[in-house]
Order: sequence, then structure tokens, then C-alpha cells
Amino acid sequence: MADRACIEARGLTVQRGNRVLLDQVSFSLSGSQVVALLGPNGAGKSTLLKTLAGLLRFSGELRLDGREASQLDQQERARLVAYVPQHSALDAALPVREVVAHGRFAYRDVWGRPDRRDDTAIDRAMELTDTRRLADRSFSRLSYGERRLVLLARALATEARVLLLDEPTAALDVTHALALLHLLRDLASRGCLVMVALHQLNEAAQASDRALLLAAGRLVAAGSAAEVISAEPVRRVYGVEMVPAAQFGYRLPAEKDTAP
Amino acid sequence: MKIALTYLVLLVLLVGAVVLALLVGHGSLADPALRSTLLGLRATRVGAALLAGAALATGGAVVQGVFRDPLVSPSILGTTAGASLGGQLAMLALVSGSPLAGLAVSAEMVLPLGCLLGAGLSLVIVLAFCRERTGTLTLILTGFILSSLFLALSSFITSLAQDSWDMSRAVVSFTLGGVGGVSTRQLLAALPFVGIGIVACWLWSDTLDLLLSGEDEASSLGVEVGRARRWSVTWVAVLAAAAIAVGGNVGFVGLIVPHTLRPLVGVRHRRLIPACALLGGAFLVACDVIARVFPSRSELPLGVITGIIGAPVFLVLLARSQREVSHG
Repeated sequence: MADRACIEARGLTVQRGNRVLLDQVSFSLSGSQVVALLGPNGAGKSTLLKTLAGLLRFSGELRLDGREASQLDQQERARLVAYVPQHSALDAALPVREVVAHGRFAYRDVWGRPDRRDDTAIDRAMELTDTRRLADRSFSRLSYGERRLVLLARALATEARVLLLDEPTAALDVTHALALLHLLRDLASRGCLVMVALHQLNEAAQASDRALLLAAGRLVAAGSAAEVISAEPVRRVYGVEMVPAAQFGYRLPAEKDTAP
Repeated sequence: MKIALTYLVLLVLLVGAVVLALLVGHGSLADPALRSTLLGLRATRVGAALLAGAALATGGAVVQGVFRDPLVSPSILGTTAGASLGGQLAMLALVSGSPLAGLAVSAEMVLPLGCLLGAGLSLVIVLAFCRERTGTLTLILTGFILSSLFLALSSFITSLAQDSWDMSRAVVSFTLGGVGGVSTRQLLAALPFVGIGIVACWLWSDTLDLLLSGEDEASSLGVEVGRARRWSVTWVAVLAAAAIAVGGNVGFVGLIVPHTLRPLVGVRHRRLIPACALLGGAFLVACDVIARVFPSRSELPLGVITGIIGAPVFLVLLARSQREVSHG
């Protein structure tokens, strides 16, 4: 069970009109790891995440947790794969706990009544993301960083084994970005497959186990983070030279780094 | 506690409006010979205003959720104009000389059916033109153009109906909106539409809440978005049709009522929808009282009262939303 691939994609292709957004992308990923999805603007990172989340039509083969994706209904899929977009459309004055509870929609019956398991999952998601303190506040009044944490909590409340995040650190300050990446590592250690689109290669090198490098909709490199984020693939895709040793970097203080 | 108190206040407002509407109007209840007749007539129009108000306010809350835009309502989107046109066509179909006139169908059943078809058609057109990322102004413009088209067709029908004085008067009165001429049979025909419509919308509450996150996020959380939009719009069409069938073309209720209630009960549809039904009913009953007691040669049309109150409220809300957009 632990070895079964969470995501198996073969020849995944997405077209919009005559434009090919994803071109014959194939990979297989198992759980308990953070996978960085890299590539320049327009490479197809968001398209790939949306396709895996079931939001775009595709051709090719896609299996999620061993099941054919096209055979899953919307609720089954939501229980397997959670997605956090880069820009959420949510701006309503909903209480934060209610927003996190939306992650349990795929488990609700026709009357929409939450049960004890829903409450436990919501509490756990808010605990992991440190959002319990925001529970009664209105989502529309939160800061950008707080909103990102709440949306992550909503995704965690789904208890999906696969977590897809589209540029979660974009527009976050250094402290929040590091804390978020730290949390993603923690989630991977609990068995999740965390697939995260990132722009900053140093963040990816620091936080991920594996990496997929996309360019113009094609998968050009896949492997361990160290292999993919190396001089040759980076030069080929981004057209820049990597500096072997960073002059300076960031890390969370030791007490935060070891916090659960 | 605050929510319970709000519901209690809404209930008191509703009961107060109903009692006032039964006591106020032409004719004296002190006259024992007239009392039961007057009370019966007033009860029917109170019932009609109650149903129409509850239906339109609930419909407003639901379309605002579906389109993720607080500035839309059945009247802004052209749904009420579409229902009104459908109703007029249904009335025309029953005029002697038309192919349907010979059939043994009652006006009470044909009118809501016509309204339902008109409301459904207008919502289908709006949905076809306005996908999720459509801006507020495009939505409003689409609704305005649809309303204009439906009103132009309504005028055409009014001119066709001029051959018959009774029909002409009925069509004009229907267009302006009012609950004066509603029969008990009409009321009973509309009742299940409104009741089922409100309950159905309430059952979609959680889904409507998730749609506040947009189609992509709602879909990733397990919502079958296409199905949710289709059903929500169907129930809004049912509610608008029932409201127009008993109240004629009454606008802005679906805009004002949800806006008034959101700061009090919040944006969750499970709480908002019942509150809208209560306040919508109370509001239209109160508007009907104003229409009856306003000193004029004849009774003011209900649509005129709601328009006078609703149009400035709409402009204020529009200005506020534009300010929010420009200030980010």
C-alpha cells in the first residue's frame, strides 16, 4: 500500500484550441515526499496541477492512488486530491472555521450535517496550520499570509493523500514562506505526497525531495531535487548559470524548525 | 444568540406587517356586514405579497451566490421581466380566438407556467453569456439588455391586447406589479412553487457557500459545479415565476433584502435563505400597505413602490462596489 504510486501520469496532454499547454507528460510519484514543480512562466506548472485536480480536460492516462482518474466522480476525487490555487477567488465574510469546514464537503450527506469525524479533521487541519486562533474571524478580514494558511487548512481537512499547491510562497515574506515550506515537509513525513509549484529554485532545493522541470508544456527533467536543480537543466530551461554556493540563505530559528 | 434574536425580530416584523395589512385599507372593519368580506380580500392579497416577497428575496440570495456577485437579483438579471413576458404570453394565449382558448385550462395554471418558461429562458440566456469570470458590469448590462428586450416584447403584447379592454387592463396591471386582483385559486397554485422552491434552495445552501470560492475551488472540493448551477438556476426560475404570477412585475426585492440581512445573519446560505424568506415577505406586505394607503386617485402599483425604494439602494451599492474595485 505504501509503495503504490499516488499519481501515475502517462502521455498527459492538455490542449486549448490549437495551443498545446501540456505535451505528453509522464511521471509516477509515491507518497511521503515533497515534489517541486519547476519551470519558467508559462511552462505549464499551473496547468499540470489543475489537470491533476480534475479541473481541465486532458488526453492520456492518469491514475490517482491506483484508480483511473476518469472513473472517479467529483467527490471521490476530492477525497484523494486536495488543491490550493495560487489566487483564491474566495473573499466572503465567512468565519475561518467555516472555510476550513468546506474541505469536508466531499464527505457530507445530502443534509450537509457534519459528524464527529468532520470536526476531528477540521481541528487537526487548523492545529497543523496554526489557524485555530483565527477560527472565529472573518476570512475577508485576514491578511494575505493568513488567508494562505486557512486555504491550506481547508485542503488538509479533506484528508487527501495528495496535496497540490500552486506557488504557495508567492507574495509571502521570508518568515511565512519558510514556515509554510517547513509545514509541507512535515505533511510529507506524515505520508502525504506534496506537489508544489515553486518559482524560487533555492526554496525548491531546500524543501523538496524530488523535482519535475517543465518547459513549454514538456517535462524536460525529473528526478531527485539535487539532480534536477543543477547547472545543466537550469541553464537549458532558464538560460541562467547557477552559483555553486549561495553567499547567504535563510532558515527558521532552531526552536521553530523542530516544532511539530 | 445574535442569530436567534435576529430571527425573532424578523418574525415579529412579519407578523406586524401582516396584522397591519389586515387592519389597514379602504372600507371599515367596524361594519359587521363588510368585515368578513374585507378581511378575506385583504388576507388574499397579504398572502400574495408574502409569497412573492419571500420568493423574490430567496431567489436574490441564490443568484447572488451562483454568480458570486452581490449586485445581481432576479430583476437585475432580467429574470422577472422574462417571467412577466411569459405570463403575458400565457394571458394572451387564453384570449378568445387563440388556439388555446378552446382548451379547458384554467388561467391560474397557465399563468405560472408561462412565467416559469419566461424566467427559465432568461436565466439560460444569462448563464450562456456570463461565465464565472464575467464582471459585474457585463452581468448588469446583459440583464439590462434582456430586460429591455422583454419589456419591448411586453409592450408589443400590450398593444395586441388592446382589442379587449379587460385583457388590456389585466396586462398593464400585471406589468406594473400588484397583488390587488389575486384570487385564492391563484394563491393556492403559487404556494407549492414558493414552498418547494425555498426548501430546495435551502438544501443547496452548502453548495452555494462553496461556490463563493469560485468554480475551480468548489470543483476541487467535490462540488459538481455544472449540476449545482443548473439546479440553482432552475429553483430561482421557479421562485421568480411564482412571485410574478401572483405579484406581477415587482423589482429589487431580491437585491435589497439579502443585502440588508448579510451583516445580521452572515453570508452562509443556510442562515441567509430562511431570513430572506421572512424579511422578503414582510417587506412586500409593508410595500403593499403603502400602495393601499398612499393618497392618490387609484391604488399605486406595487412595482412602483419597490422601484422607488430599490433603485436608489441599487445605485448606492453599485457606487460602493466600484469604489472597492478602484481602491483594490
